[in-house]
Amino acid sequence: MSTAEKTIQDAHALEGAPVLVGRPDDRALTESLLSPVLGPTRKGWLLLLFALLGGVGFWTLSLVTTLFVGIGAWGNNIPVAWAFDITNFVWWIGIGHAGTLISAILLLFQQKWRTSINRFAEAMTLFAVAMAGVYPVIHLGRPWLFWWLIPYPSTNLIWPNFKSALPWDVFAISTYATVSFLFWYLGLIPDLATLRDAAKTRGRRIVYGIMSFGWRGSARHWRHYRIGYLLLAGLSTPLVVSVHTIVSFDFAISQLPGWHTTIFPPYFVAGAIFSGFAMVLTLMIPARRLLGYQHVVTERHLDNMAKVILATGLMVFYGYMMEWFMAWYSGSASEAFAFLNRFQGPYRGIFIAQMFCNVVAPQILWFPSMRRNEYVLFLVAILVNVGMWAERFVIIAVSLHRDFIPSSWGMYYPTWVDWGLFLGSICMFGVLFLLFLRFLPAIPLFEVKELRRELEHYGDNAHPGSEEEG
Amino acid sequence: MKAYVLGEFEREQPLYDAARALRAHGHESLDIHSPYPLHEADHALGLKRSTVPIVALVGGLAGAITGYLLQWYTVGHDWPLNVGNRPPHSAPAFIPVTFELGVLFASLAIFVGLLAGYFGFPRTHHPVFEVEAFRSASIDGLWLSAEVEGKDAEPVAQELRRFGARNVSIVPEAK
Repeated sequence: MSTAEKTIQDAHALEGAPVLVGRPDDRALTESLLSPVLGPTRKGWLLLLFALLGGVGFWTLSLVTTLFVGIGAWGNNIPVAWAFDITNFVWWIGIGHAGTLISAILLLFQQKWRTSINRFAEAMTLFAVAMAGVYPVIHLGRPWLFWWLIPYPSTNLIWPNFKSALPWDVFAISTYATVSFLFWYLGLIPDLATLRDAAKTRGRRIVYGIMSFGWRGSARHWRHYRIGYLLLAGLSTPLVVSVHTIVSFDFAISQLPGWHTTIFPPYFVAGAIFSGFAMVLTLMIPARRLLGYQHVVTERHLDNMAKVILATGLMVFYGYMMEWFMAWYSGSASEAFAFLNRFQGPYRGIFIAQMFCNVVAPQILWFPSMRRNEYVLFLVAILVNVGMWAERFVIIAVSLHRDFIPSSWGMYYPTWVDWGLFLGSICMFGVLFLLFLRFLPAIPLFEVKELRRELEHYGDNAHPGSEEEG
Repeated sequence: MKAYVLGEFEREQPLYDAARALRAHGHESLDIHSPYPLHEADHALGLKRSTVPIVALVGGLAGAITGYLLQWYTVGHDWPLNVGNRPPHSAPAFIPVTFELGVLFASLAIFVGLLAGYFGFPRTHHPVFEVEAFRSASIDGLWLSAEVEGKDAEPVAQELRRFGARNVSIVPEAK
């Protein structure tokens, strides 16, 4: 064993909480983890579902209004042509990124603690990307012509302009959505087979049987499966970095002060992971309690996620400082003005909220006791969600509302449709998540069982790498 | 007539021993079924390295080439588009879509390749599912299955019992 590995082991030994409480046998694990799916419908779940469906109604109404009235139903104008719509888009896409980070990047780094939260985080990714995808399409103005974005030989005799960042976005987001789905579903197949075999009713056996394609846990399949899963993780890792990089190109490639900076790609990726981990915590802290997942999602998980939030929060803060520095160092009057306008302009309240939520609030996570306190963590996670939304609003709308010529300045005020599309999408996301928690295994059974076996053989602090083939 | 012989094992080691013993008797159509991947099972069954990475590589290259050619053909050749006086064929601007399509095709190749090519899915009816106790294979059971000639079924079942297998069953393939 190398010295580096030894150090890692010692570091693990210093952490108190285990990644898996107790050593339940496979049947007990299956029963406890599938109880939310196979058990009776809970009243609280139904109540929450109906409450959120109310919000979905509001969302649908806003969507229909947008389709029938047009973009005029929003507060968007010239100069603020991008506002809530693109803010929401970037916010949701960013949230999705933590799911891929947990499931792919932490898999490659062989972080054992990812095992019990990866399915959950991937589902969050899928639903967040689905919510994000709505905005650019409805923002087209004539969304029923969205297929003009796809390069196919049409009678229009013209192709998409591949030198613009916006068609890149089309490819990045659709690839991201597809690959996230494939990765998620591939991980689900063995667990769907478990559900098929554990289900008591014939209807469920048939449905889960079809969904699992006839998986029979064959060693001849596992051999390819493991490699395929690892390769998908390897592909997702650069993909997730590329997606938010391309999203940041939408801005960075333009010449608008406040958008035109080279720090954007890494700064957007860090911000995406920052907000995504906050969203995982926002969902996980209540879910682990309500569904009784405390033995697989332990203090160790919360503590680790809090550390990621702290680290990425500092990266985001570094991005802010670089932006300010470049605004001053570039010597461009417009650039300097754009940043002063954030501090002093009419939207300074949002800027202050951004600074408080993203820079000040996460600093409490330096204290180990705070990282293990569910209430503090939940509050910080909510604040980070708010702060990251504010950041995107500040970047997008606040940069647009005062650009080069004072005669073309303007203000942006959201309408009820804007609010409906924003808040309603959160409700829709919640509905999708509730359905996921009820009908699919939210904790990856086979991976937790594998982890249990590994821990039994090698102990909590062992390095699993030696067993993995090259 | 072919038959499937199935047996459930309590622990891993007897399972691997049984698999090795059956292979020593010349039965190569063996399989191990478990709720999670077992690395040792590959050795016990004498399985070779997976070829999935090649499928992924081919898919990825095909995607990247498609992506680049698509952009070159559409805005560089078929309808040279002058935007900001950049050359119609501007390689740096083509990188993002080339990369994305490479990843997309590679992922699709892995997913479809695994399910349809390597696993032969969808296949919800398989002889092993005829045994009700086999449900434990995805929950907590370790199973060995052997596809043998009908006349060999009984001796193979005896062999499995000798290694401590429970729920030993014989499923005739053609019903």
